[in-house]
Amino acid sequence: MTHIAWVPERWVEAATGTLAGLAERHPSRAILLLPQPEDTTDSVEGEADLRCFVRQGERKEVCAEVITLRLRGARASVPASVVMPLLVSDLPVFLRWRGPLPFGSTELEQLVGLADRLVVDAVEWDEPARDCRELSKLFGTIAVSDIAWARTLPWRAAVAGMWPDVAGAAQVAVAGPLADALLFAAWLETRLGHAVDLDHEPADEIERVEVDGQEARPVAAELMTPSDFLSDQLEMFGRDPIYEEAARRVASWTTTK
Amino acid sequence: MTEVVAAPNPLLEGLTMRRPPEPCAIAIFGASGDLTQRKIMPALYALAMRGLLPARFGIVGVSRTEMSTEDFVERMRQAVMVNCRDEFRHDVWERLAEGLHYVSADFGVEGGEAALVDALNEIDETRGTAGNRVYYLAVPPAAFDDIVTALGRRRTASGWTRVIVEKPFGHDLASAEALNELVTTYFHEDEIFRIDHYLGKETVQNMLVLRFANGIFEPIWNRQFIDHVQITVAESLGVEGRADFYEHAGAIRDVVQNHMLQLVALTAMEPPIDFAAESVRNEKVKVLKAIHTPGPKHVVRGQYGSGYIEGEEVPGYRQEHGVAADSNTETYVAAKLFVDNWRWADTPFYLRTGKRLPRRETTIAIQFKRAPHPLFEVDRESLRPNVLLIHIQPDEGVSLAIGAKVPGQGTSIRTVHMDFLYGGAFRIGIPEAYERLILDCLLGDATLFTRADEVEEQWAIVDAMVAPWKRDRPRFPNYAAGSWGPPAADDLLHRDGRSWRRH
Repeated sequence: MTHIAWVPERWVEAATGTLAGLAERHPSRAILLLPQPEDTTDSVEGEADLRCFVRQGERKEVCAEVITLRLRGARASVPASVVMPLLVSDLPVFLRWRGPLPFGSTELEQLVGLADRLVVDAVEWDEPARDCRELSKLFGTIAVSDIAWARTLPWRAAVAGMWPDVAGAAQVAVAGPLADALLFAAWLETRLGHAVDLDHEPADEIERVEVDGQEARPVAAELMTPSDFLSDQLEMFGRDPIYEEAARRVASWTTTK
Repeated sequence: MTEVVAAPNPLLEGLTMRRPPEPCAIAIFGASGDLTQRKIMPALYALAMRGLLPARFGIVGVSRTEMSTEDFVERMRQAVMVNCRDEFRHDVWERLAEGLHYVSADFGVEGGEAALVDALNEIDETRGTAGNRVYYLAVPPAAFDDIVTALGRRRTASGWTRVIVEKPFGHDLASAEALNELVTTYFHEDEIFRIDHYLGKETVQNMLVLRFANGIFEPIWNRQFIDHVQITVAESLGVEGRADFYEHAGAIRDVVQNHMLQLVALTAMEPPIDFAAESVRNEKVKVLKAIHTPGPKHVVRGQYGSGYIEGEEVPGYRQEHGVAADSNTETYVAAKLFVDNWRWADTPFYLRTGKRLPRRETTIAIQFKRAPHPLFEVDRESLRPNVLLIHIQPDEGVSLAIGAKVPGQGTSIRTVHMDFLYGGAFRIGIPEAYERLILDCLLGDATLFTRADEVEEQWAIVDAMVAPWKRDRPRFPNYAAGSWGPPAADDLLHRDGRSWRRH
């Protein structure tokens, strides 16, 4: 596959770390786009690496190509013509957009037009509810994955395992990032078909979920790395209607719960 | 009484995680044995590591050996540390070990099962396993009767029961039928899970994906386009401490009856209507029923003499520890089978398996017919037919041999390979077969297990193959360790104008 990553300056370190873990699981051509629109020169500067990883306990290596492109000046707003010749033919194209999405911009529009799937992380946004509203307008155009949504998966599975005790749930408490908490509450509300109050406690990652005071016990949640969450999204090809419904519900909440 | 129908769980919709197994307790018979330590416990640990076991779960080890639960837990911990593919994590182990118990029981004496019943009832109470039971019979067939009878008579009124039966399932058709009759006296067919661990291998399952998820293969997967099929299960090891079993089984019962006939069935089967257990197994049984009984000239047996493996001198089979000095047990079998149906009529399936062959290798080679018209003026030998090679182990993957022009003046053709290797494409580890099979059993999915009629058809074929052996005495040994088998195996193909794949 081709994995395009749009990585503004402040996300470069995190993106590089994730990419290293990702390549181990998804050998692919990764195109790292580093936009520098404020640069006074109009230029594209690139380098290509072949990164190989030894499989645990085996002699063989899995190799992945990484192409890094610095898009300076005006080139940062028209990335498609640079990227298109570099796509691997006939294979899916994933677009990982780091940070808030510049809705309505040419760069987003062009890259969405090239990709089969857009991968975002709502935790990187300043206002998740507002951005969910804008993002939901793209659902008909491109399949979307949200890593914040993926992070809730073990917790959703754990709460699903509490059925039917949670069938009439009225309140959910989530200690974790706001985006994760909103998506979790929206999921519960849309699946159960009735309103559920969210009690949110900020934390860097999801630490606790309680439904009507009953604690959910996920399995294997602590084993997941950022690379694993992104890898999981790269294994999905179609639209995710359950996520879309949850994101639309978050978008409908003008103020956070 | 009105049956209460549970409302479907809306929270499961769209969850990409596989549904978790229901709470249950697993009783492993033969808990002090090699299989439990090498395969079963490491598989359970690997499943626990990935959060694939139910939250409410318990394990009872059962054998005749006197041992405390503490000693058993420690022994299993050591086994997991040595044999598991994952790094050992204390927190995962501690969680698994909390539900681990050991019971010393002799099912040969009246009431010998009482201690096990008590232990399982206790697990139901303390761990909430709701009477759901998996009985894993990792014991020799001689012990089946007592265990199955005792379990059948005392099966719980609440919860479900599943029985995993390890191979060998009988030693001929009559004994397999007797075993089936015994097990089905107490358990329904959908409660019986007969293991052939080959079916748990990723690459064996990939055979189904390769054939039925790719549109290009199925139209040419027949007698019109395929010249013949070769299936090789080669081992470089000798009997490795299994002489007692192997002397009675030989290669035909150890490998051909189960693994090889499964590979034949998966290669030759028609597309099932879906991937449900009964649909897949129905199609496999049809293949086994269609296999023409091979005549004596179509079966070759062999036994290895001394020789060299990887530069090291190794003894002959008759010199192995525990083997009779005049043993006539076969360590090699080659056979030519025909599947008598529209798809495969007159297309031979050549099988060969043996011990002390030059290297360990399991492959299915689909050899296609040559191009119909020799367009290029080249040596016929350099224009080899296309071969689709499915590597089951090691170097798991798929390879297609095609002819390509050698760069330069003139037209010179060489065979090159288009390869897909699991190891080169995916870095995630390939799960052990036992992990997949145990999890499937916990989920009640019998697709990758052998059904009663399937195992009986397999034995019927094997019985027909060995019947002539009772009448003649073989001249053993007839191949040297480190060679590819007896000359008669080569003749089997040469007579048809073919030869075994080059290695």
